[in-house]
Amino acid sequence: MADLWRRGGAGAVRRSTRAWRVRTSAVIMAAVVLAVLLVPPLAQLDEQAVDLSAKLLPPSLAHPFGTDDVGRDLLLRCVYGLRVSLLVGLVAALVATVIGTAVGACAAASGGWVDRVVMRLVDIFASVPHLLLGIFIVAMFQPGVWPVVISVALTHWLSTARIVRAEVLSLRSRPYVDAAVSGGASRWRVTVRHLVPGVLPQAGLAAVLMVPHAIWHESALSFLGLGLPTHQASLGTLVQSARGSLLAGDWWPTLFPGLFIIVPTLAIAGLAGAWRERLNPRRRSELTL
Amino acid sequence: MTPPKHLTSESVSGAPVPDEPVSGAPVPDEPVLSVRDLSVRFRMRGQRYIAAVTGAHFDLAVGQCLALVGESGCGKSVLASALLGLLPGNAETAGSALLDGLDLLTADEATLARTVRGRRVGLVPQSPAAHLTPVRTVRSQLEETVRELTGTRKPAVRQAAEAAAERAAFPADHLDRYPHELSGGLAQRAATALALIGDAPLLLADEPTTGLDRDLVERTVDELKRHTGDHRALLMITHDLAAAERIADQVAVMYAGRIVELSSAEAFFGEPGPRHPYARGLLNALPEREFTPIPGMPPELGALPEGCAFAPRCAYTTSACAHIPPLNASVACHHPVLDAAPAAAAQEATRA
Amino acid sequence: MTFGKTAPAPGRIPWGPMARMTGRRALFAVPVLLVVTFGAFAIAAASPFDPVKAYAGTAGLTASQENLDQLRANLGVDQPLVSRWWQWLTHALSGDLGDSSVMRQPVTQVIGERLGWSVLLAAVAFVVAVLLGTALGVLAGRRTGGWCDRAISSLAYTLQAAPPFWLGLLAVWLFALKLGVLPAGGLTDTGSTEVTAGQVLSHLALPAAVLAASQLPWFVLYVRQGVADALDEDPVRGARARGLAPRTVLLGHALRSGMLPVLTLIGSRVPELITGALLVETVFSWPGIAAATVEAATAVDFPLLAALTALATVAVLLGNLIADLLYGLADPRVGFDG
Repeated sequence: MADLWRRGGAGAVRRSTRAWRVRTSAVIMAAVVLAVLLVPPLAQLDEQAVDLSAKLLPPSLAHPFGTDDVGRDLLLRCVYGLRVSLLVGLVAALVATVIGTAVGACAAASGGWVDRVVMRLVDIFASVPHLLLGIFIVAMFQPGVWPVVISVALTHWLSTARIVRAEVLSLRSRPYVDAAVSGGASRWRVTVRHLVPGVLPQAGLAAVLMVPHAIWHESALSFLGLGLPTHQASLGTLVQSARGSLLAGDWWPTLFPGLFIIVPTLAIAGLAGAWRERLNPRRRSELTL
Repeated sequence: MTPPKHLTSESVSGAPVPDEPVSGAPVPDEPVLSVRDLSVRFRMRGQRYIAAVTGAHFDLAVGQCLALVGESGCGKSVLASALLGLLPGNAETAGSALLDGLDLLTADEATLARTVRGRRVGLVPQSPAAHLTPVRTVRSQLEETVRELTGTRKPAVRQAAEAAAERAAFPADHLDRYPHELSGGLAQRAATALALIGDAPLLLADEPTTGLDRDLVERTVDELKRHTGDHRALLMITHDLAAAERIADQVAVMYAGRIVELSSAEAFFGEPGPRHPYARGLLNALPEREFTPIPGMPPELGALPEGCAFAPRCAYTTSACAHIPPLNASVACHHPVLDAAPAAAAQEATRA
Repeated sequence: MTFGKTAPAPGRIPWGPMARMTGRRALFAVPVLLVVTFGAFAIAAASPFDPVKAYAGTAGLTASQENLDQLRANLGVDQPLVSRWWQWLTHALSGDLGDSSVMRQPVTQVIGERLGWSVLLAAVAFVVAVLLGTALGVLAGRRTGGWCDRAISSLAYTLQAAPPFWLGLLAVWLFALKLGVLPAGGLTDTGSTEVTAGQVLSHLALPAAVLAASQLPWFVLYVRQGVADALDEDPVRGARARGLAPRTVLLGHALRSGMLPVLTLIGSRVPELITGALLVETVFSWPGIAAATVEAATAVDFPLLAALTALATVAVLLGNLIADLLYGLADPRVGFDG
């Protein structure tokens, strides 16, 4: 008798594709992490090995991604570049998260005019385009790894500060915080003991989502010649140094480093999207770059 | 749970659908809408189902007003959505709802959009202001509906829209207002004006009086009755028994997704009164009657008790109530109330 | 009966409230610009950057200490941070933003010559992104989970993750080198000294397309979400119940309501647009502001950088203002109070 029921639309399909997306993202991220951790120590290969007889070879079995203009294997260069970019991105995201969490929690815990002034400053900071501010900082401090990390960190803490502040404010209105305050705990103590642990999941999610953004910024700065030195393989410098070959018609030294930015970005976004859905079930997952 | 009986849905869906609704005045006794064992359930996660409507069965003739009453959450608004083909994607339906020979439950979206909604079934929605697009004026939405439903072209549209507003007593000087700028009563009239444009033979009013004060309730239902006249049929879904009493010719009482009583308004509100213990309790809960609420809470549609869904709240429950009573002689109860006296006894019993 | 604010007659634009909002925003811009420019001076003061060496360039290596000290005094470098900032600010108000060392001309002239080209590129790209993004977003949001939605969403996510400079380079490879249909960069053909509309148009096509592609995903995803959400809400249910054609329901109701959240956030796209323009202009050697920014940064040209940062901030504030004005016009429930 079950066939008497006429079906409406399909609702189950989306769930299975979502699970598939999360699983694929997890596999890709695992591969990325293993590659950047294990390839450099295990493969006794020199990514800097110049072989002018093998320059600009198109992708082949021996060189799956081809070789660059001085005959270096691009797959190896890309793995090394990803390693550097990922490291820069992770450190920058970590610093930005610490700054953002501290500022957001302080603003929310202080309340009153401190909160207003701090959040106004955050708004003002947000009025300057990130990349331009990054360029300004790097220009003033000379290009290099640390200026890049600092400039990316200094431009990315704003959203974390806003998220953490909002979260602290919403947590603060819950009964157990009132109970702690009326029990004689100071405002700071409540913030540190009860509220900061409460906002860590949101801050952590923001940090994870920031990593691709930070990689993106590092590569943009490096591409503009304002980031890492050119001999240091990062995804940005790889694209930058491939420009000459590209204008000569060789596409592979440009294409593959870009894919190395896109694929991990999508994988991280896929995982973070699932995480976000668990944290805030009502919001749909969206890639925020 | 009894599966719906095998019925006409296959044969009806195969029948040719008339292109145009029957024109001219229909024969008075011929039902405009005939609902047969209509059931709606929602598929939830993990093969769970919520039975929102089960086995609804009634006819509605032209010039008649059927009030479908029940507490909120009993499934009556789902029934309205089913008749308009506006159920969400996880809904499944069974049975049939014939409107001029067309089964509303099996009609495809294109047929529903092009020939049914607005043209054969006019909806006066619950919270009418929310059913208008907030960024457009009442005039623009009236003109759009006039254009699409009547095929009126440019210079005449403005006048036709104003005439439509006039018909529902919507003041012309408020036409350029946005929905959020209307009072509840005016929003109700705007919604009525929109529902009347297509000249549909069936008006469907889904909780038309929610959020209105008593005077406005009476005015609104009187206007609905006036628009029904003797050439339309009105299905009014409401939890307001007083509003139903004012205009209904027939009353259907719904409890936990089932119609438990279907009788003429005269008998229901006068003598001998409702015969289902739930319907009687509902009526007795009115302030002008005994003002005593039915004890307990209605069950969740996702977790209905075995047997009669009202049994846990009923004073007459016996072992027979472990089986779902069929709708016999207009009441679905193993122990229908026969006269006014047992109602008081019932209350004694529940208090004890 | 309760009535809200008296509604403006349709077609009449509330100039008064809009002007008041613009005025309030202009007032708010003053402290923002003060803070941003002061921040720029503070970062410069904290950095190892030495304006004297930057100004003297290679000549500084051979110049005597005396000459350098003289230069230091002339440039006012030995003054405290606040007074240097204040001096720059008062000069800026009289229209003097200093001299660019890398361009060897006044900063105002550098900006004046290039601003138009940047605005042209950004505006064309933005319009293309809005129109195409809305169209694709409606197609995707019409039936979320369908194949059309999946194809468009996947494309949008991938484009969003792709760096604009990489897209630009691949576009150059494909359209300029392989197909040879569009020039690879610049404003006019090499050798040509005259700037003609036709040449500019053909040189604009590729950078504008890449910049639009880099901005596209955001619009697609937000319009998609807006339309998909609106389709589940009562106004669309009402429109469908009235018997309106699916097309009217989608465009006249779902899109009209679904665009509102997009409009509120459209102002936040200006920083992203500037970021994208920085990269795209560099790839295509477009003679705009962004390319000058990169040159200024490479050469540590502080006066130019400071002016450009302030200019970008003004652009962002202007973008926010325009977005809020548009939103106020599009949604009668929102006033011009912000």
